[in-house]
Amino acid sequence: MPLEISISVQAEGFDPGAEYQLLRSENSADGATAMFVGNVRDFSPGATGDHQSVAVLELEHYPGMAESALTDIARQAAARWPLGRVRIIHRYGPLAAGEEIVFVGTTSAHRQAALDACAFIMDFLKSRAPFWKKEIATGAEEGSWVEARSSDADALKKW
Amino acid sequence: MIKVLFFASLREQLEREAVEVDATGLTDITQLRNRLAEQGAVWQSALGNDQLQVALNQQLSSMDAIIRDGDEVAFFPPVTGG
Repeated sequence: MPLEISISVQAEGFDPGAEYQLLRSENSADGATAMFVGNVRDFSPGATGDHQSVAVLELEHYPGMAESALTDIARQAAARWPLGRVRIIHRYGPLAAGEEIVFVGTTSAHRQAALDACAFIMDFLKSRAPFWKKEIATGAEEGSWVEARSSDADALKKW
Repeated sequence: MIKVLFFASLREQLEREAVEVDATGLTDITQLRNRLAEQGAVWQSALGNDQLQVALNQQLSSMDAIIRDGDEVAFFPPVTGG
Protein backbone atom coordinates (compact mmCIF):
# COMPACT_ATOMS: atom_id res chain seq x y z
CA MET A 1 0.00 0.00 0.00
CA PRO A 2 1.46 3.41 -0.88
CA LEU A 3 2.24 5.76 1.97
CA GLU A 4 -0.64 8.02 2.95
CA ILE A 5 0.12 11.24 4.84
CA SER A 6 -2.72 13.42 6.11
CA ILE A 7 -2.09 16.73 7.88
CA SER A 8 -4.64 19.09 9.41
CA VAL A 9 -4.02 22.42 11.12
CA GLN A 10 -7.38 23.52 12.45
CA ALA A 11 -9.23 25.52 15.08
CA GLU A 12 -11.96 22.94 15.59
CA GLY A 13 -11.65 19.91 17.82
CA PHE A 14 -11.19 16.30 16.71
CA ASP A 15 -12.39 12.88 17.76
CA PRO A 16 -9.49 10.49 18.50
CA GLY A 17 -11.85 7.52 18.12
CA ALA A 18 -12.89 8.62 14.64
CA GLU A 19 -9.22 9.18 13.74
CA TYR A 20 -8.44 5.61 14.82
CA GLN A 21 -11.22 4.32 12.57
CA LEU A 22 -9.76 6.27 9.62
CA LEU A 23 -6.26 4.90 10.28
CA ARG A 24 -7.66 1.35 10.30
CA SER A 25 -10.15 1.64 7.45
CA GLU A 26 -9.20 -0.71 4.55
CA ASN A 27 -5.74 -1.08 6.06
CA SER A 28 -5.46 -4.75 7.02
CA ALA A 29 -1.83 -4.83 5.78
CA ASP A 30 -0.76 -2.82 8.83
CA GLY A 31 -1.09 -4.82 12.03
CA ALA A 32 0.15 -1.99 14.26
CA THR A 33 -1.37 1.40 15.03
CA ALA A 34 0.28 3.89 17.42
CA MET A 35 -1.44 7.08 18.51
CA PHE A 36 -0.54 10.04 20.70
CA VAL A 37 -2.99 12.69 21.92
CA GLY A 38 -1.82 15.86 23.69
CA ASN A 39 -4.30 17.73 25.89
CA VAL A 40 -4.27 21.14 27.59
CA ARG A 41 -3.07 20.82 31.20
CA ASP A 42 -4.92 22.75 33.88
CA PHE A 43 -1.71 23.86 35.57
CA SER A 44 1.59 25.44 34.66
CA PRO A 45 4.77 24.89 36.66
CA GLY A 46 5.53 28.38 38.03
CA ALA A 47 8.97 29.93 38.28
CA THR A 48 9.01 29.38 42.03
CA GLY A 49 7.97 25.74 41.73
CA ASP A 50 4.35 26.35 42.66
CA HIS A 51 1.61 25.39 40.25
CA GLN A 52 -0.50 28.07 38.68
CA SER A 53 -3.88 27.05 37.34
CA VAL A 54 -4.39 27.64 33.64
CA ALA A 55 -7.86 28.60 32.39
CA VAL A 56 -7.16 29.05 28.69
CA LEU A 57 -4.33 28.16 26.36
CA GLU A 58 -4.01 30.38 23.29
CA LEU A 59 -2.18 28.71 20.41
CA GLU A 60 -0.69 30.86 17.68
CA HIS A 61 0.62 29.36 14.43
CA TYR A 62 2.27 30.34 11.16
CA PRO A 63 -0.35 29.49 8.51
CA GLY A 64 1.17 27.68 5.55
CA MET A 65 4.47 26.90 7.24
CA ALA A 66 2.70 24.93 9.98
CA GLU A 67 1.23 22.53 7.41
CA SER A 68 4.47 22.22 5.43
CA ALA A 69 6.60 21.67 8.57
CA LEU A 70 4.28 18.87 9.75
CA THR A 71 4.31 17.30 6.26
CA ASP A 72 8.14 17.38 6.24
CA ILE A 73 8.27 15.71 9.66
CA ALA A 74 5.82 13.00 8.53
CA ARG A 75 7.93 12.38 5.40
CA GLN A 76 11.11 12.13 7.48
CA ALA A 77 9.42 9.53 9.70
CA ALA A 78 8.24 7.58 6.65
CA ALA A 79 11.79 7.60 5.26
CA ARG A 80 13.07 5.96 8.46
CA TRP A 81 10.33 3.44 9.22
CA PRO A 82 8.05 1.32 6.99
CA LEU A 83 4.80 3.21 7.59
CA GLY A 84 1.43 2.79 5.92
CA ARG A 85 -0.37 5.87 7.18
CA VAL A 86 0.59 9.01 9.07
CA ARG A 87 -2.05 11.35 10.45
CA ILE A 88 -1.17 14.60 12.26
CA ILE A 89 -3.68 17.13 13.59
CA HIS A 90 -2.62 20.31 15.39
CA ARG A 91 -5.13 22.84 16.66
CA TYR A 92 -4.77 26.60 17.08
CA GLY A 93 -6.78 29.33 18.77
CA PRO A 94 -8.12 29.42 22.33
CA LEU A 95 -8.30 26.01 24.03
CA ALA A 96 -9.74 25.22 27.45
CA ALA A 97 -8.08 22.91 30.01
CA GLY A 98 -8.61 19.28 29.07
CA GLU A 99 -9.20 19.91 25.37
CA GLU A 100 -7.21 18.04 22.74
CA ILE A 101 -4.33 20.02 21.13
CA VAL A 102 -2.48 17.53 18.98
CA PHE A 103 -2.97 14.07 17.46
CA VAL A 104 -0.33 11.84 15.90
CA GLY A 105 -1.27 8.45 14.47
CA THR A 106 0.99 6.01 12.62
CA THR A 107 0.35 2.57 11.15
CA SER A 108 2.84 -0.09 10.14
CA ALA A 109 3.19 -3.82 9.71
CA HIS A 110 5.47 -3.65 12.75
CA ARG A 111 4.77 -2.50 16.30
CA GLN A 112 8.18 -0.92 16.92
CA ALA A 113 8.06 1.09 13.68
CA ALA A 114 4.62 2.51 14.52
CA LEU A 115 5.63 3.39 18.10
CA ASP A 116 9.03 4.87 17.22
CA ALA A 117 7.64 6.91 14.31
CA CYS A 118 4.89 8.32 16.53
CA ALA A 119 7.44 9.40 19.19
CA PHE A 120 9.82 10.78 16.53
CA ILE A 121 7.04 12.89 15.00
CA MET A 122 6.07 14.33 18.40
CA ASP A 123 9.69 15.13 19.28
CA PHE A 124 10.28 16.95 15.99
CA LEU A 125 6.90 18.68 16.09
CA LYS A 126 7.80 20.14 19.50
CA SER A 127 11.02 21.73 18.20
CA ARG A 128 10.32 22.35 14.50
CA ALA A 129 6.64 23.13 13.91
CA PRO A 130 5.73 26.84 14.13
CA PHE A 131 3.23 26.92 17.01
CA TRP A 132 3.44 29.05 20.14
CA LYS A 133 1.50 28.63 23.39
CA LYS A 134 0.29 31.42 25.61
CA GLU A 135 -1.16 30.49 28.98
CA ILE A 136 -3.85 32.59 30.56
CA ALA A 137 -4.12 31.87 34.28
CA THR A 138 -7.48 31.64 36.03
CA GLY A 139 -8.64 35.16 36.85
CA ALA A 140 -5.85 36.84 34.84
CA GLU A 141 -6.39 39.20 31.92
CA GLU A 142 -2.90 39.03 30.45
CA GLY A 143 -1.44 35.73 29.36
CA SER A 144 2.20 34.69 29.38
CA TRP A 145 4.09 32.97 26.57
CA VAL A 146 5.30 29.48 27.34
CA GLU A 147 9.11 29.27 27.28
CA ALA A 148 10.71 26.60 25.13
CA ARG A 149 12.35 23.92 27.26
CA SER A 150 15.86 22.70 26.55
CA SER A 151 14.64 19.15 27.24
CA ASP A 152 12.57 19.39 24.04
CA ALA A 153 15.66 20.25 21.99
CA ASP A 154 17.59 17.46 23.77
CA ALA A 155 14.84 14.98 22.85
CA LEU A 156 15.87 15.25 19.17
CA LYS A 157 19.37 13.97 19.91
CA LYS A 158 18.17 10.42 20.57
CA TRP A 159 17.01 10.20 16.92
CA MET B 1 10.31 43.92 -1.55
CA ILE B 2 10.81 41.35 1.19
CA LYS B 3 7.79 40.41 3.28
CA VAL B 4 8.78 40.08 6.93
CA LEU B 5 6.47 38.37 9.44
CA PHE B 6 6.60 38.31 13.26
CA PHE B 7 4.97 35.78 15.55
CA ALA B 8 4.08 35.29 19.21
CA SER B 9 6.01 37.43 21.75
CA LEU B 10 7.92 39.13 18.93
CA ARG B 11 4.67 40.23 17.24
CA GLU B 12 3.45 41.63 20.55
CA GLN B 13 6.71 43.48 21.32
CA LEU B 14 6.78 45.06 17.87
CA GLU B 15 3.01 45.65 17.83
CA ARG B 16 2.72 44.39 14.26
CA GLU B 17 2.57 41.10 12.41
CA ALA B 18 4.26 42.09 9.16
CA VAL B 19 6.35 44.72 7.39
CA GLU B 20 7.62 45.13 3.83
CA VAL B 21 11.31 45.89 3.40
CA ASP B 22 13.05 47.10 0.25
CA ALA B 23 15.46 44.34 -0.76
CA THR B 24 17.99 46.75 -2.25
CA GLY B 25 21.41 46.24 -0.68
CA LEU B 26 20.34 43.23 1.39
CA THR B 27 22.24 40.00 0.82
CA ASP B 28 21.42 37.80 3.78
CA ILE B 29 18.99 37.57 6.70
CA THR B 30 21.49 39.06 9.17
CA GLN B 31 21.56 42.26 7.08
CA LEU B 32 17.76 42.34 7.03
CA ARG B 33 17.70 41.84 10.81
CA ASN B 34 20.23 44.66 11.29
CA ARG B 35 18.28 47.03 9.07
CA LEU B 36 15.07 46.37 11.03
CA ALA B 37 16.91 46.78 14.35
CA GLU B 38 17.94 50.30 13.32
CA GLN B 39 14.30 51.40 13.61
CA GLY B 40 14.53 51.97 17.36
CA ALA B 41 15.14 50.53 20.80
CA VAL B 42 12.12 48.19 20.74
CA TRP B 43 13.23 46.72 17.42
CA GLN B 44 16.80 46.36 18.62
CA SER B 45 15.71 44.58 21.77
CA ALA B 46 13.18 42.27 20.07
CA LEU B 47 15.49 41.29 17.21
CA GLY B 48 18.62 41.18 19.36
CA ASN B 49 17.43 38.09 21.25
CA ASP B 50 19.96 35.31 20.67
CA GLN B 51 17.15 32.72 20.83
CA LEU B 52 15.53 34.28 17.74
CA GLN B 53 14.47 31.76 15.09
CA VAL B 54 14.00 32.50 11.41
CA ALA B 55 12.15 30.95 8.48
CA LEU B 56 12.83 31.74 4.82
CA ASN B 57 9.90 31.10 2.48
CA GLN B 58 8.22 29.02 5.21
CA GLN B 59 11.22 26.74 5.86
CA LEU B 60 13.31 26.93 9.04
CA SER B 61 16.49 28.73 8.07
CA SER B 62 19.59 30.40 9.48
CA MET B 63 20.69 34.03 9.78
CA ASP B 64 23.32 33.62 7.05
CA ALA B 65 20.78 32.47 4.43
CA ILE B 66 20.79 34.49 1.19
CA ILE B 67 17.64 36.50 0.49
CA ARG B 68 16.19 37.87 -2.74
CA ASP B 69 13.46 40.27 -3.77
CA GLY B 70 10.05 38.61 -3.27
CA ASP B 71 11.15 36.34 -0.39
CA GLU B 72 9.10 35.86 2.76
CA VAL B 73 11.13 35.96 6.00
CA ALA B 74 9.60 35.24 9.41
CA PHE B 75 11.18 35.93 12.82
CA PHE B 76 9.88 34.22 15.94
CA PRO B 77 10.84 32.89 19.38
CA PRO B 78 11.57 29.15 19.87
CA VAL B 79 8.43 27.15 19.07
CA THR B 80 6.31 25.64 21.86
CA GLY B 81 3.59 23.60 20.12
CA GLY B 82 2.52 20.02 20.70
